[in-house]
Amino acid sequence: MRLASSFASSVAFLLIAAAVRAWRRWRQARIARIEASWRQALEQAAADPSAGALLPISWIEFPDFLLLWNRMRGSLAEDAAANTAELLRRHGLDRRALRLLRFGTLRSRLIAIATLGKLRDERAWPRLERLARGRGQATSFTAAHAMLRIEPRRALEALTQAILQRADWPVARLGSVLAELGPATVTPTLTTLLIARPRGGLDRVVKLARFGERKRVAPIMRGWLSAKQDPDLVMAALDYVDDTQELTWAMEAARHPEWRVRMAAARALGRIGAAAEIPALVELLKDPVWWVRYHAAQAVAGLKGMTPEELQVVRDTARDNFAADMLAHALAELPIRRRRIFA
Amino acid sequence: MIRALVWFFIGYFLVAYGGRVLLHLIGVPALLRGLALRPFNDMPAPHSGFEPPVSVIVAASGDVATVIASANALLDLEYPQFEIIVVCDDGMPGSLAAVQEAFQLQPFPEALWRRIPSGEVRTVYQSFLHDHLRVLDKEGFGRADALNAGINASRFPLVCAIDPGLRVQRDALQRLAEPFLEEASTVACMSHMRVDGAGALPRSLLRVLQVVEALAAFVFRRVGWDALHASVPMQGDIVLLRKDVVVEANGFRADSECEDTELALRLHRSLLARGDRYAMRFLPDPVAWTAGHDSTLAVIRPRQRWQHGFAQGLRRNAGLLAPAGLGQGPALPLMLFFESYGAAIEVGGYAFVIAMWAAGLLPGAVAGAFLAFTVSLGFLVSATALLLETLSSDLYPGLRQLARLAVVAIVENLGYRQLMTFARAAALLPRRRPTA
Repeated sequence: MRLASSFASSVAFLLIAAAVRAWRRWRQARIARIEASWRQALEQAAADPSAGALLPISWIEFPDFLLLWNRMRGSLAEDAAANTAELLRRHGLDRRALRLLRFGTLRSRLIAIATLGKLRDERAWPRLERLARGRGQATSFTAAHAMLRIEPRRALEALTQAILQRADWPVARLGSVLAELGPATVTPTLTTLLIARPRGGLDRVVKLARFGERKRVAPIMRGWLSAKQDPDLVMAALDYVDDTQELTWAMEAARHPEWRVRMAAARALGRIGAAAEIPALVELLKDPVWWVRYHAAQAVAGLKGMTPEELQVVRDTARDNFAADMLAHALAELPIRRRRIFA
Repeated sequence: MIRALVWFFIGYFLVAYGGRVLLHLIGVPALLRGLALRPFNDMPAPHSGFEPPVSVIVAASGDVATVIASANALLDLEYPQFEIIVVCDDGMPGSLAAVQEAFQLQPFPEALWRRIPSGEVRTVYQSFLHDHLRVLDKEGFGRADALNAGINASRFPLVCAIDPGLRVQRDALQRLAEPFLEEASTVACMSHMRVDGAGALPRSLLRVLQVVEALAAFVFRRVGWDALHASVPMQGDIVLLRKDVVVEANGFRADSECEDTELALRLHRSLLARGDRYAMRFLPDPVAWTAGHDSTLAVIRPRQRWQHGFAQGLRRNAGLLAPAGLGQGPALPLMLFFESYGAAIEVGGYAFVIAMWAAGLLPGAVAGAFLAFTVSLGFLVSATALLLETLSSDLYPGLRQLARLAVVAIVENLGYRQLMTFARAAALLPRRRPTA
């Protein structure tokens, strides 16, 4: 009995696999037949917004059409992309995408959300806002992305808490979205958050700060140089040090008990320092942590106005083996780094 | 007594094989989610600058031409920032000169940071042609020691050991690094290398058998274990690791026969003991390809080596089978138990039933029914794996290929799977010498 049921289940699983394959093959063949006409219509519309006509698109094919539009849009100039969006509106496909938000599978809903974002369709806003608050990671993040495309400033305001606290929205993905919006758009929100220093999520804002306008973010960040109690803040602030006025802070940070702060201080000294900072950097070259020594050596090698001969002298006079080895390493890396810069 | 034992073995097969089918089903939501997200993942995405840089370490072994070809292929990986460190040791005399010529190497005064024990590095070379390629010339103490030396020389927070000869997809690092971006507590991400021939199955029956076996044992079963937080690298995996945890664990053990698995078990043990929240992830998507083996013996050897190394690693980290291993739920100890001792119990079942039948203590019909039952359960596991393959990556599309895979799945359960089980059980014998 068990034997028979086991074989029957196996056969059933294989039959389901066969059915899925057969259906997929039929669908692919069908899409392949129609895709050429979709592509042609989109290309015509890209050149002239009033040109191009689409044959009726069934519900089964609709997500694939939207996917093609999303892909093609990515390779078009802004004007041409807007023209193709007009084609979609002319055929009422924007309204169909709106309906898809409610009834589709996860795949088709995600495609519809992305499409409505790119169409900047304001009618989708309430639904997208609800989806962005939802628990599903993919749906909520795609909805948030769509909102940011539709009305960036309003979306940033609406999504502030989520940006700070939703651990399932990776900072890397948020970074890509903020980069897409551009520094001018994201800076007001970022600076507000940086000034407010929220208890939860400040680490995320600090990481995202790089997507804001440096000239507006840097003064706030540099204000944290005195936040001795929080190494992460001091470290982030040191990355924005680019003026000799902050030399005193950088020199103080070079003596910080946390090695990551000393490493950031070495980098900062390399950016703003000159020959006068060599003794401080040579001290960092003796640091017990390899990374501090490495960045100190890079800083010495990168100091303004230092010639290779002067660097060699620093290396020869370094009494510490660690320091001498690391300087030799940095000197050998110099031509490689220069090649990278000019590549 | 005989009846009771027969029922025990029937029960064991039901639990072990039923568990495998259950694991396949547990993995379905994750696979379907991956399928829904695929259109987005396939679109070119801008780098955010948060992608953690990766140090790829190649421990040179085998043919030097393969090492050079592999390093050349790895240089073309698509990832924002990575470096390649090729480690040549005394185990491959003459290889350094060839590598030196191929990549125009020059000695580099590297200030090495020896954080984990490894053999003496004689010289570090920097390629004049490729800024992100360095080569270490060191004393030869095996692969684990070479990887440790590579980790000491590495500059980036993630490390990935890749063996020469593997065909690595250009987006491999991107895919493997994804879990590290999504979840900060990720310490390792692994993917199983697949047998060459995506799109069309290999002609050789032995290679197709390896494909069918891998789908069930090395890919989809592990999607289920992954959902239950019980991932451990297996033979033929490519693993991306967080360097700080590897360094803290003192690197790979040179006296281990299966260093990647042993390290992962050690990491599980130490992180669970500390009560840390961590994730070891398994990716079902293929990121690397291999030609597969062309003889049964060649298939068996690495299997035995892994089984032996796994048992060795588990003995050294036996705490994982105790309550200490329950830190992330009961899945990890269960997985370790079935992967390490499952083969031996299965072989015990076959041997017992056949011996009892031969001694006339068990009717032929009962023995035959028992064996047919085990075959049917094995086929059920393979059939669910083929369904999941269809639902997810669909590497071998079309009805004809499905039919071929289904036939091979039957063949697999009529001797091949049992042979592999015997080989794995034999690798557990205490006096057996390592088959490296």
